Amino acid sequence: MTEARTLKIKTTLARQMAQPGGRTIADVERRANERLERHRDDVMTTIAGTITELELVVAAAAPDSEPQVYRLASSLLDTAGFFDTGPLYDAGYSLCDVADRMQASGAWNWPTVAVHVQAMRLILTGGCKADATTEALLLGLRSVAAKARQEA
Amino acid sequence: MSATDRVNLEQSTVLLIDDNPQALDMLSSVFQGFGVKEQIKCASATEGVRVIQNRAVDLIVIDCADPEMDSYAFARWLRRETPAPLRFIPVILLTGHASQAKVREGRDCGVSFVVTKPLTPAVLLKRILWLAGDEREFVECETYVGPDRRVRNFGPPLGMAGRRKDDLSAHVGAAVEENMDQSDIDMLMKPQRVAL
Repeated sequence: MTEARTLKIKTTLARQMAQPGGRTIADVERRANERLERHRDDVMTTIAGTITELELVVAAAAPDSEPQVYRLASSLLDTAGFFDTGPLYDAGYSLCDVADRMQASGAWNWPTVAVHVQAMRLILTGGCKADATTEALLLGLRSVAAKARQEA
Repeated sequence: MSATDRVNLEQSTVLLIDDNPQALDMLSSVFQGFGVKEQIKCASATEGVRVIQNRAVDLIVIDCADPEMDSYAFARWLRRETPAPLRFIPVILLTGHASQAKVREGRDCGVSFVVTKPLTPAVLLKRILWLAGDEREFVECETYVGPDRRVRNFGPPLGMAGRRKDDLSAHVGAAVEENMDQSDIDMLMKPQRVAL
């Protein structure tokens, strides 16, 4: 085993941030949230488009299209992850997880993907609100995901 | 850290790398809100490599799944293939879902932080503030280059020899002196008046 060399480093970022000046944390957070909020409508449109693409992939269930499911679900998380999309994010994450496991094990199951995509559409149509309906949907997805994990 | 504490990024240049153009724009808006001096946006890690070779940056934020070079490969390149001080630049790796194959890579690629989405500006700012006061040492060895992954240093794992010069041995060894007498121990514990 080789010996590890350790170094004490002061980064330029640390030195700059130690300088007096700047803004209050509250102010910086408010400004960042305001700017981020301007993207919300565009992001929701993109998410709806991604779910439509997933629906098309599931409907075709074409051979060799499995990697597309993970790619699309992952891209949904990339943008949805900037906002509080609650249950939609959870359903998307669950789809990524099962798609990743099923693909790695070679035990691909299209109905597992279909039920996730249907749930995501329902959650989006309902405004991504966390309520009893979305909770029941997520509970169902958790069971489906657990079964897929066992089979993978 | 309270809401009235100050954060100063007015002199900092941040490199943002994201292969999702919409996510890159949102990240850019967040850093605009943070008041950074300059932000450089890249749509791929390979583009980020070219920037780093020609420009000084103070922080890198990356979320890239490009098979040609993803976030993990970029971090490994930065830590292992570039000279100091480039290799010390703090890196925050953002991820939505980390595939099973990537979890171990996330631990071993040498980034300063892995931040999982959902992400809020408050969470990101907290990580940046933490980096500003980061006292972790930078570790270089055959299998890992990057900030110390041990946030608390409890020494090497039990039963393993330490690989660092300042790692203490976990082996206590046999007693080489006589046990202390009980009265000596009592004297050590006894409160005593001290003249100041």
